[in-house]
Amino acid sequence: MATLSIQHIDKIYDNNVQAVFDFNLDVKDGELIVLVGPSGCGKSTTLRMVAGLEDISAGKLLLDGKDITQTPAKDRDMAMVFQSYALYGHMTIYENMAFSLTLRKENPNVIHKKVLAAAEILGLTSQLNKKPAQLSGGQRQRVAMGRSIVRNPKVFLFDEPLSNLDAKLRGATRREILLLHKRLQATMMYVTHDQTEALTLADRIVCMSMGHVQQVGTPLELYDSPNNVFVASFIGLPPMNFFDVRVDGDKLTGKGFTVGLTPEEKAELRGYEGKEITLGVRPENIVEGSDFKAAVTNSENLGMNTLVYGNVGGTGVKVTAKLKGWKNYRVGDTASFSFNRKHFFDKETTNAIRGGK
Amino acid sequence: MTEMDDRTIQRDRMRFIKNTASSSLAILGILFNVFYFVSIYQSDVGTYYYKILIGVSIVYNLIFMLAVFLSSEGVKNYQKNYSYLLAVIGIGQIVRVFILPMQAHSATTMVGGAEVLVMGGGQFAWTVGCLLISAVCLLASAVINLVKCKELADHMKTLEANKA
Repeated sequence: MATLSIQHIDKIYDNNVQAVFDFNLDVKDGELIVLVGPSGCGKSTTLRMVAGLEDISAGKLLLDGKDITQTPAKDRDMAMVFQSYALYGHMTIYENMAFSLTLRKENPNVIHKKVLAAAEILGLTSQLNKKPAQLSGGQRQRVAMGRSIVRNPKVFLFDEPLSNLDAKLRGATRREILLLHKRLQATMMYVTHDQTEALTLADRIVCMSMGHVQQVGTPLELYDSPNNVFVASFIGLPPMNFFDVRVDGDKLTGKGFTVGLTPEEKAELRGYEGKEITLGVRPENIVEGSDFKAAVTNSENLGMNTLVYGNVGGTGVKVTAKLKGWKNYRVGDTASFSFNRKHFFDKETTNAIRGGK
Repeated sequence: MTEMDDRTIQRDRMRFIKNTASSSLAILGILFNVFYFVSIYQSDVGTYYYKILIGVSIVYNLIFMLAVFLSSEGVKNYQKNYSYLLAVIGIGQIVRVFILPMQAHSATTMVGGAEVLVMGGGQFAWTVGCLLISAVCLLASAVINLVKCKELADHMKTLEANKA
């Protein structure tokens, strides 16, 4: 397999619109990198630049240390799986999977062995004589992956491969991709706007917004130590709650509530005494307690959890809590909550506050 | 990889790859038949019997093209019975050499007061050649398909035996 080094890459279109700004990333051998972000953040553009489908305006792209910035897509030894599958409808699954190798004029017997091996991995052996139209969306996406596998590329690129599938199939296919990655130990880059896919698949996640990389890290790092308000709000479902608060000694005073700070939290906020900051609290870090009260505006029982939406102290400041178990809150009830984990962000820069570091 | 392995793989490929060799040969057979009838319809012996034969030939050509096209699709999918149909039609093409072309080649007509052959030597050779090439294509298509069908059937039996 291969290592990929993306160095200071920019993408500027002919109309001077810049889609990607100074993208830097070193992808290790066998690593699965997920690019995540909202629509239009430049993640697909980045992937297409890596694939060679878009020109790189500035910067360098190295594959195994070799500069491939100007190398045409066909010579990059990368395989891309698209959201739309891009299968040939008039060909059978076998022919679709064999097509790229046939074009390369490889030995038909070798092609046969590779196609059968890929079909075996993907559980498509019994479907090889069928046409794509006879398969479900998930199976078609597996064929698209199989077409990549037979090429034995150095890097696999996935551009939102599960977006066309329904929720159930998406979950199943996601697990298959993960198994495939473990089995092939291949270097993969995967683009999605779905944070669940990102968190479950990635070795490392690259979170992007407006063409800028916001944070690169493991799923736990992004979830537990977000770099800024954007990452904190994008990763996690339901999204993190944000409150404008002031640091008053060993407590935080917000609109309609006051919460105490632990000595560690106080140390973390050193230098922010008397200043306004943004307090972030994940819904799952809110528990029933006595720190503040909220008027319940909605309650959703999900079986294992209950989502409670409310207004803090009748101020209009919204809060979402994900409580464990089945809770019977009704609209208009008053709920009492506490925070058991807090994230602090600088109000001006929106960057995370980490003990003045 | 040993030679035996290669042969086994070649046979196994037939499970997924269509028999394009037989199919293409059958289509080629149709093509040369078209060349044949374009050529033969340029000749007119002038007898009522010959005109009847031309009429029958037109109908036969339509049936021929339909049957061979269907057979080409059949052999593409390794269907044995279409081989027999192609073989019969191929033999029919050889027989056809002795019907219209022979009559046209042996008949004469008056052009400008001189007696000339209805079908000259060159045209005769071309017409007969087309028919014979068409026949060879159809027969080859049939034979190739029969051989492949047998190989595939044997291979499937082996696979099933291995499964069991």
